[in-house]
Amino acid sequence: MTPFLEGLLRLAWWLVLAPLLPGLINKVKAWVAGRRGPPVLQLYYDLARLWQKQVVMSTLASPGFLIGPAVAWVALAGAVCLVPLGPVGAMLSFHGDALLMLYLLALARFFTAWAALETGSAFEGMGAAREVSYAILAEAAMVAAMLSLSVQTGSVSLVTMLAPSAGPGAALLAAGLFTVLLAENCRVPFDDPNTHLELTMIHEVMVLDHSGPPLAVILHGAAMKLLLFSVLLTEAVLPMGELSPPAATGVLLAGVLGVTIGVGLVESLLARFAFRRVPLLLTTGVLFCLFALLVAWKGGRA
Amino acid sequence: MNNYLNLLIGLAMGLNLIALGSSRLPSLIRAVSAQGIVLGLMPLLLEHHPDWRVLVVVVATVAGKGFVIPWLLRRAMRAATIERELNPLVGFVPSLLLGAGGTIAAVAFARLLPLLPEHAGSLLVPGALASVLTGFILLIGRVKAISQVCGYLILENGIYLFGLLLIRSTPLLVEAGVLLDLTVGVFVIGIIVDRIQRAFDSLDTRKLTVLRE
Amino acid sequence: MTPGPLLLTAIVALAAAIVAGLRWPRAWLGLNLLASAAAFGAALSPLLGGPAWEWFGTVTVGGETPHLRVDAVSGIFLVLIAVVGAAGAGYSREYWSDGLHPASAPRSRGWWSGLVLCMVLVTTVSNGLHFLIAWEAFAVCGYFLITLERKRPAARAAGWLYLVASHAGTLGLFAFFSLLAARTGSWDLGPMRENADLAPLVWLVLFGFGVKAGVFGLHIWLPSAHANAPSHVSAIMSGVAIKMGIFGIVRFSGWLPTPTAAGWLVTGLGATGALLGIAFAFAQDDLKRLLAYCSVENIGIILMGVGGAMLAVSQGDAGWGRLALAGALLHVWNHGAFKTLLFLGAGSVLHGTGTRRMSRLGGLWRVMPWTAGFFLLGALAVAGLPPLNGFVSEWLVYLGFFDAVTAKGTSAWVAMPAVLMLALAGALALASFAKAGGMIFLGAPRTPAAARAHECGRWMRGPMLGLAAICLLIGLVPVLFWPMVARAVGAWHPAWNTMEAPAPIATLGSVQAALAGVIVVVAAGLWWRTRANGLRRALTWDCGYATPTARMQYSSGSFAGIGSGWFSLVLRPVRHWRRPRGVLPAGAFRLDRVPDVVLARVLTPMSDLILRCSTAVRRLQHGRLQDYILYVVAGLAVMAVLVSMGGVL
Repeated sequence: MTPFLEGLLRLAWWLVLAPLLPGLINKVKAWVAGRRGPPVLQLYYDLARLWQKQVVMSTLASPGFLIGPAVAWVALAGAVCLVPLGPVGAMLSFHGDALLMLYLLALARFFTAWAALETGSAFEGMGAAREVSYAILAEAAMVAAMLSLSVQTGSVSLVTMLAPSAGPGAALLAAGLFTVLLAENCRVPFDDPNTHLELTMIHEVMVLDHSGPPLAVILHGAAMKLLLFSVLLTEAVLPMGELSPPAATGVLLAGVLGVTIGVGLVESLLARFAFRRVPLLLTTGVLFCLFALLVAWKGGRA
Repeated sequence: MNNYLNLLIGLAMGLNLIALGSSRLPSLIRAVSAQGIVLGLMPLLLEHHPDWRVLVVVVATVAGKGFVIPWLLRRAMRAATIERELNPLVGFVPSLLLGAGGTIAAVAFARLLPLLPEHAGSLLVPGALASVLTGFILLIGRVKAISQVCGYLILENGIYLFGLLLIRSTPLLVEAGVLLDLTVGVFVIGIIVDRIQRAFDSLDTRKLTVLRE
Repeated sequence: MTPGPLLLTAIVALAAAIVAGLRWPRAWLGLNLLASAAAFGAALSPLLGGPAWEWFGTVTVGGETPHLRVDAVSGIFLVLIAVVGAAGAGYSREYWSDGLHPASAPRSRGWWSGLVLCMVLVTTVSNGLHFLIAWEAFAVCGYFLITLERKRPAARAAGWLYLVASHAGTLGLFAFFSLLAARTGSWDLGPMRENADLAPLVWLVLFGFGVKAGVFGLHIWLPSAHANAPSHVSAIMSGVAIKMGIFGIVRFSGWLPTPTAAGWLVTGLGATGALLGIAFAFAQDDLKRLLAYCSVENIGIILMGVGGAMLAVSQGDAGWGRLALAGALLHVWNHGAFKTLLFLGAGSVLHGTGTRRMSRLGGLWRVMPWTAGFFLLGALAVAGLPPLNGFVSEWLVYLGFFDAVTAKGTSAWVAMPAVLMLALAGALALASFAKAGGMIFLGAPRTPAAARAHECGRWMRGPMLGLAAICLLIGLVPVLFWPMVARAVGAWHPAWNTMEAPAPIATLGSVQAALAGVIVVVAAGLWWRTRANGLRRALTWDCGYATPTARMQYSSGSFAGIGSGWFSLVLRPVRHWRRPRGVLPAGAFRLDRVPDVVLARVLTPMSDLILRCSTAVRRLQHGRLQDYILYVVAGLAVMAVLVSMGGVL
């Protein structure tokens, strides 16, 4: 029973800490703009409030409209179970779990898009189309990053892959993964999480019609995804496995905090890109990961 | 020593890709000038005991490639009051992918060349090949005269990298010659740009085909 | 029980079904189900660890002794034929019933049983001559099934293209089997890996079977044939018939010595085919064409696995090849199950609405909840998403190639790009099926035809339910199926004949099962919470627009616009449009079509050129006697010159 409880505890950490990140980003943005900004715990309040609310559902929508967010949330929760948390390790680890993680993220994407299409709204169709299209390039970048970590460590299991630093290609990998993080979590140069009702959105436009508990589940899932990518980025770049457990915990926390602040700074200093330039930026991300792969390959041979 | 050199060349290769991906003229010129500065610093790393001649060359190259030529280009751009958005013949994403593929191919190809053992581990030759290729992609894929000049400049940077292989045997004569040619070329193009602008109200080199009769 | 009597039962029952199908539909269905059960049983014995079964006839047929063989490799394909054969037969009872298609229903039944019979023979016959006969009969049955609706010009054209392409492939196979017979001195087939001068014949195998499998580049017949055939026929063509090409490639790449270059080529072809096939699928508006191109993608994935195994063998039996081949063979089953399911679902949509065009459908979940549910399941499986079966096999292929990369041999140079292309293909497959499912079943009906749709009956639902259950079962308990696949891998390459499963497949299975369980629990929890908080129905919010109409929805073309725009260099979409002009614009439109680029840009110009050349040559043939005599004299003179020069030289 103990391993089971331990696993639950670890999952609880992910679930509880995730909503902190968007709050931190907002705080950084407010700080740069010289405002006070919403409290760091704002998302927790929002989630609690939404969980109590009544649901309004489109007359066109099928039960899939409610099931979609649930499946997406479960998929994301499953994905975080596979990611090691520094010295504590992952809840579950086996040969090839890196691929399962990528495909769980894809499952979440499918159901978010599916729930968006339920409403028959042109806006939500637009958002879903963008989400699945940009994911094509993001997926290529992620797999290239995974390949480079595999080449580096000779393993296809996240726990081993993320233990050492990414070696000479670390800077390239960091740049590539950061680009993917911004794209997959719909942050600023790709999407603007603050706007509503504009034709330039991806994620926000897909959840326009959701309300109440399903919306809470979607928001929590998005926060979890952001935390997952931040942890992944930190662990891929820094040599977590070579540090003592307390130091590794500290480094992991600092790294996630650093990534969060980085996202906040990017959002404060950059404007959203025009849509026709998004593929260019994503391709750059793919190329970063690809060159990281080549560097890892060459480094491993020498 | 070699590691720092490889880092600089890697930077230059990255700037190649930035040049390919930039959609506005000023950022293209910025990339080219940054590449010029990076390349200009290299002789310092290559020579173990830099004497005054190398210093002069470094200063001249950095000043020429990094500041003078970009300044001339910016002046030409301002004088001709052209639109700063590039409209490419080969799109940005395809040219970026082509450039990346070319870079990888250059690294793979350089291994096959019969190089001196001291150059085998360095990225000099791949960097040179990649820059030449990038120059060609820019020359083929861009329309405006100024972006063509940028293509020439990157092409010349590639030749310069090749020249660095010979830095021991020839005192940068080749490089000086090429640089001189190019400066003259930029002057001439600067003037021509002005004339084209007056005659055609545009800097689209495709319109020059009208002159063939 | 040995496979012999069971196989005999299957063959006799199918032969009887051909006759019964003309008059007695019930008896036909019974015989087909019996044959399927018997063939299934026959295949199961080698898959469950029994020895390979062989049988030599006593009388000669066409001068050759009949030779049948059922081993684990043929067992894999036999199981597929049995399952899909039974599902399709049950489905066609309602879908292509005598009441709906009085003229063609008896023909449909007869040719169906013929097709299944021929495929059973193709997988079991082990004599080159008899294989060719069965292969040819199989192609002919396919032709008559595709052209069941012979009044429709599109169906006739598709059938014609299929027949021509199929025969081009058969030509390659004729060359292959006769060269094989010439070099070995016998038409009998079997393992001959030691005979090194047979290696070049692999290229003929790849071409001949590649056409049937629909390898990208040789796939020209596939989209139109699968789109225009009746849906139960599309299902078996896509789910099973193209796998016969894969069967040939797997069978003979295992029996013959293979040059290293073949492994590289097959892997490369598979990876590019997977990517380009699904890129074409994404851009389609015709649901069945989308599914057909998606088959090209899945054939690419299977070929990647097979090519990886060939590479691994040529590099000292590396263990990763075993994973890749196991993934490929499991994908044969998986693709058979989910693609048949999807085509049957497409048939149900066509049955209920009368159109295959996604931009004319929409909102069908309300009237067709069963079909919508099955289609969603099939879509998840085909996109390779956990916890369904498609993920298991794709994961095995991925894992094989990742291990190839970490092994850092020369094969890593093909493994790295292959993995990247597989990732791109996976993301595109997700996009394609989010589009297909969303456009057909969600939102509001776009046309009156879609609004008047009706759900299919029990006979159409039953087979879909069965196939969906298979998709779930392979996804949730892959350990159950691993030993069978492992035995087939062992039969392909005896050096890999070890039984232990790579440990993670059991873990993966339990993770998938747990995932499915948690999904059900969480979905139920969210549903309950929503009910408890109160649920109100209202108009889609749509940014406050008060009177949205169904035509304002995102259409399939616009959904695919961004993604297919990136591939426009390859896809070459054909666009016609008129922009709205003036203050009160009238009559603006935009039409996008993505024709098959290989057919339209390569083969049609080439055949035009051949036609022009032959027209020019035909001028020599004009009917004037004097000129003919002149030709004869000229010919003689040329020969005389040649002979005399030969004497001189």
